[in-house]
Amino acid sequence: MDRFFEALFLGLSAGATYSLVALALVVVYRGTGHLNFAQGEMGTLSAFMVWWFNDKGVPLLLAVLFGMAFGFLLGAATEVAIVRPLARRSLLAVFVATITLFLGINAYTSGVWGAPPDELMDSLFPNDPDDFVRVFGTIWRYKDIGTMAVTLIITGLLFLLFQKTRFGLAMRGVASNTDSARLVGIPTGRILAGSWAIAAALGALAAVLVAGNQGQVTPTLMVTVLTYATAAAVLGGLDSPGGAVIAGLLIGVGEAEAAEFAPGWIGQDMKLGVALVAIFVVLLFRPSGLFGTAKVERV
Amino acid sequence: MIKIKEGSVVHWLIRLVWVAAVVAVVIYIPTKTTSGTVGDFTLAFEYAIAAMSLNLVLGYAGIISIGHSAFFGIGMYTTAVLVSRYDWSQGWTFYVAAAIAFVVGFLVALPALRLKGIYLAVVTLALGVLFPTLIRWDKLEWLSEGPAGIDGITYDDIPKWPLIGELRGREGRATFIYWVAVLLLVISYLVARGLVKSRVGRSLIAIRDNETAAAVMGVPRARTKTVVFGLSAAMCAIAGSLSATRLNLASPDIRNITLIGSITFLLIMVLGGAATLWGPIVGALAYVLLDARLRDAGETGEGIVGTVFNDWLNIEGSPATLVLAVILLAMMFVAPFGIVGLLRRIARRIVVIEPRPAGHPIDESNLPATTEAVAEVDEGLAPGAEVNVFADPTTTSGEPT
Repeated sequence: MDRFFEALFLGLSAGATYSLVALALVVVYRGTGHLNFAQGEMGTLSAFMVWWFNDKGVPLLLAVLFGMAFGFLLGAATEVAIVRPLARRSLLAVFVATITLFLGINAYTSGVWGAPPDELMDSLFPNDPDDFVRVFGTIWRYKDIGTMAVTLIITGLLFLLFQKTRFGLAMRGVASNTDSARLVGIPTGRILAGSWAIAAALGALAAVLVAGNQGQVTPTLMVTVLTYATAAAVLGGLDSPGGAVIAGLLIGVGEAEAAEFAPGWIGQDMKLGVALVAIFVVLLFRPSGLFGTAKVERV
Repeated sequence: MIKIKEGSVVHWLIRLVWVAAVVAVVIYIPTKTTSGTVGDFTLAFEYAIAAMSLNLVLGYAGIISIGHSAFFGIGMYTTAVLVSRYDWSQGWTFYVAAAIAFVVGFLVALPALRLKGIYLAVVTLALGVLFPTLIRWDKLEWLSEGPAGIDGITYDDIPKWPLIGELRGREGRATFIYWVAVLLLVISYLVARGLVKSRVGRSLIAIRDNETAAAVMGVPRARTKTVVFGLSAAMCAIAGSLSATRLNLASPDIRNITLIGSITFLLIMVLGGAATLWGPIVGALAYVLLDARLRDAGETGEGIVGTVFNDWLNIEGSPATLVLAVILLAMMFVAPFGIVGLLRRIARRIVVIEPRPAGHPIDESNLPATTEAVAEVDEGLAPGAEVNVFADPTTTSGEPT
């Protein structure tokens, strides 16, 4: 039982970061109907900005805010300068553009910060050897609890934003029908740029959390996380923020338990495989994900 | 502006000049240039086959796939295992590789039929991520040799061909693999051309432009998609087999069998021109030659590229990938139909090939059935019309999905 709880906790902690990035993907998808393949890399770039500010003497928490602001601007700029003009042409053009961005940002970060020395980054939360509590006999470290708490808070804030504010109402309007939204006077351009900006800021936060967990910022920080997050977003249903969070946690727990209880067959190497195969099976029976709405197409 | 009727003598002459020019270049490379250039072109042809296979599903059918690196890897490992473990001759492994990839591609496409757009992209993403993991998996190590990889794949003694003459040593092997690549590329091109210009090709384009409408109009959606996906997978596996014989190595560290490979094929396809037959070939040549030049510039830190990227942007090592990403992003705006689309647009200012009129007189005396006649008239239309995924007016950005 101890092993179960230990894996459960580790899974939840890892799953929380997948959930955050998956949320970012969902916010973009709901707004503009695109999957931002560069979401993770934009986060990595922001995390390097945080490291840079921190290195120059800015306190870490303030640096994180700067980094999120950088991400916010980066997201808005991407939407305005790249996504919007290309979206007039087709979905595929935007998809290729985000893949190009992925490649470009990755090449840039690897070129500038790829070689040693490593860019060290502290966790946002207390991370001394004795910073933990014991629950059910297993060790829960503060940084993992903090990661989960941040994810829950962000989910709550997003829920309030979507459901209780004018901006959220406008976002939902744009998501359900852009043309009609424009006709009733919603500034659709600002809303779309806003959703990319919010998503990129979320991605920046997620990247900082991941970097804090592993103690350093690396150019490949978010590559695996993005794969998991994409899987989580799809599993939960691309238009469902709640689904993304639940699916992210499910994937995190599922892979941790699978690796814990079948070390011979699955272990650390194949746990990604387990997650992906599970998603494939789920999609067979629910093509729009667990909580997504099926799309009805008109000709 | 010159107008030329399709099928006229002048039109055929232009085509003849084209073919002659291409043949001349293909013969010039191995006979007159250094072995480095021959290697570059072989690599480019390998990429061209892979990008061509992706073009079939992504460019023409609009099925987003980022899992083609897995098919590439299947080809690579089929050849590697059969040659090194079971002592097969290299040539025969290509057929097996293609067959295995066809089955895998077919099986992946089968359940994927229910999925649309991005969801399908994620399934193929899973395939692309899974493949290198499977290769490294210790339960499969008896077959794949795990992280160490397999070597000793390439031709030991090169067959003597009448036209090429005696090929010996390293140089000879490079030249021989160049000719194998040329042969495979020509076959792939002909298969792609035959597919695209046939009824199947029109079905694909119909599915891409509006799947529901295509299904309503009687396009056999499931059959077309699965078979084309399988064919595309087989073609990509052949590129992988070629790669294994060229590199004399199959290992999970080779970039092209990871997700990076899928992305590279995609970029090459877009660079050359999606949904064009020549796009992947032109794109692959441009990619490989540009990559080699940029790598040199990055290493020496000289020239414009060296100054901008090494001095101003502080990039260490080769800026090739970054420069390519910037070029590609710019191309998306300046030349949305790739290099081939751009050239075509320029050429159209000078020479216009007038397609046969749509309702050209049909000799009714030898008409077997009405339906087939309609199909033939359509075929006359197809070559002149510009088709491209990136100009799809039915899919707009804001559409909630």
